[in-house]
Amino acid sequence: MPLPQGSARVRQRTVLLVGIAVLLAALVLAVVLASLLTHGRHEVSPQMLKWKDRGTTKNLQEVILGRCYNYITAQHPELGDKDCLKIWESLKDAFIYKNPCNITPEDYQPLMELASHPVPCNKSLFWSKTGDLAHRYTKSNQNFLTLEDTLLGYMADKISWCGDPSAPGINYESCPKRSECESNPGSVFWKMASKMFAEAACGVVQVMLNGSVEAGAFRSSSIFGSVEVFNLDPDKVSEVHIWLMQDIGGPQSESCSGHSIQRLISILEERNFKIICEDNYRPVQLLQCVHSPDHTDCRLCTNSTAIP
Amino acid sequence: MTASFSGVQGKKWKGEGTTQNLESIVIGRCYDYIRIVNPAVGEKNCSQIWEAFKNAFINKDPCSILPEDYELFINLTLHMIPPNKSLFWENNQLLVNSFADRGRRFMSLGDTLFGFVADFLYWCGQADSPGLDYESCPTTVECENNAVESFWRMASITYAHHSSGVIHVLLNGSADGGAYPQPGFFADYEIPNLQRGKISQIVIWVVDDIEGPDIDSCGAHTVKTLETRLKTLGYDVTCTDNNKSVMFLLCLDNPDDSKCALASSAPAAQRGPISSDRGGSWNKLMFVSFASFLFRFASVF
Repeated sequence: MPLPQGSARVRQRTVLLVGIAVLLAALVLAVVLASLLTHGRHEVSPQMLKWKDRGTTKNLQEVILGRCYNYITAQHPELGDKDCLKIWESLKDAFIYKNPCNITPEDYQPLMELASHPVPCNKSLFWSKTGDLAHRYTKSNQNFLTLEDTLLGYMADKISWCGDPSAPGINYESCPKRSECESNPGSVFWKMASKMFAEAACGVVQVMLNGSVEAGAFRSSSIFGSVEVFNLDPDKVSEVHIWLMQDIGGPQSESCSGHSIQRLISILEERNFKIICEDNYRPVQLLQCVHSPDHTDCRLCTNSTAIP
Repeated sequence: MTASFSGVQGKKWKGEGTTQNLESIVIGRCYDYIRIVNPAVGEKNCSQIWEAFKNAFINKDPCSILPEDYELFINLTLHMIPPNKSLFWENNQLLVNSFADRGRRFMSLGDTLFGFVADFLYWCGQADSPGLDYESCPTTVECENNAVESFWRMASITYAHHSSGVIHVLLNGSADGGAYPQPGFFADYEIPNLQRGKISQIVIWVVDDIEGPDIDSCGAHTVKTLETRLKTLGYDVTCTDNNKSVMFLLCLDNPDDSKCALASSAPAAQRGPISSDRGGSWNKLMFVSFASFLFRFASVF
């Protein structure tokens, strides 16, 4: 049937309208898709869980690798067979893409196995509320090692890390505090590393405690009091030497005869360890005096300084 | 040519070869410094810093490296040294390391970013090859213009140039040849580059090893030479023998030496270490209470 001229124009118009509608639809679709994709790329952070503590240390991989190589190459060549890349991978796998409140010791097992190494007998130095002093001591006196002087502790000291189920799997904004959840990557790591450090100790072990804290020098809630004390092996460890350090010019809250120390001694005795406690162990006190050389507690016996 | 050398005659040079994993260590230390040790220096591009460091000495004759070759590296790692925190030294590196306390008490050269990334490491390259020489590197005796020597010359120059306020120099009074060595880094690269206008005072500390000889001290021999030189240059100079703080640090390794005896130790010695037997005074009390309880219990039956 021949179409009248009017309907041809209508058909043209219809085709035009349909074409425009299709174009518009495609445009809208493209815009929506584009915004979804960029939304996904830029808005990763808000999708991540938010916590109260500082986030993962930036450039974590470079720092960990560098510290690992520094430790085995420059400081402890006897550990030359350690594979730092594998060690980094095992650390990363322990927490990446996981909910940071669900970390278990099993997550860290491969890392612990790869990075652990024996500690010479008589050199283990434990500490509680004396971290700064203990580390300054081991830096100046290579006869003792704290956990932070072993490869595991050295790599992780002063660093934080945690994952998140959404990409990129690592949360650089925030990480859970212990009060938010106990099974967070940092707490689980240090608990496990402390346990292994205690298990590896042999011979005479030393512990530096703080006699100037009000809450008591020995606390059952500390890592030392809850983990390390109970993982010392009585078949390997013969004696425990307690160094009870008071701040120079600081409060003398507790000494070797104090309550919490007596509690520690009884716990250790029950496990068949011999204990010696010394107030203000002299070499460490000398280190404290570096900071306060003019304090009366730091007066030297001899007044002359140079021997003629 | 270089390959056959090491094959036929053994090691090419007398010094230690490049430290293994040098790149990872340098980059790792760089990030460690800006993220943890001293975040106050701000953001730095550690990969770029490594490239600048490496380009100073690779593909060159290992005896032709000059301090200026490290200029780009220094520019990228430079940061402010807080006034009154500079600590210069000779013949007592480990002591200075401990005493400076990682920048908290003093900022020695090893506590700056440019010193921190390279401290205790070895490196050198080879002519006509982009590779590092891991076998051996030239000592300064074999050739002065080697990669490591030139690095520390450049670093020392930079460190001195950016120091201000009261500056301290820690010298070893028991060192062979005197506390102020000449030639030496302090004498040749640091003193000439101090900026007189920025420095208010120079404090010299001469400390003997605890059980070491007293070869040098303030006003004597090489220290006198140093004091005279600095005064002539117009500096306000003071000198002290056996600074107490430093001595306490040295005493850590010799706590029983008479020089290290503390006057306050006497009462502590009287108290003495408490062994597990002594701790039994508490246990005795427990035992007595328990025994009396048992007795009472038994008497009921």
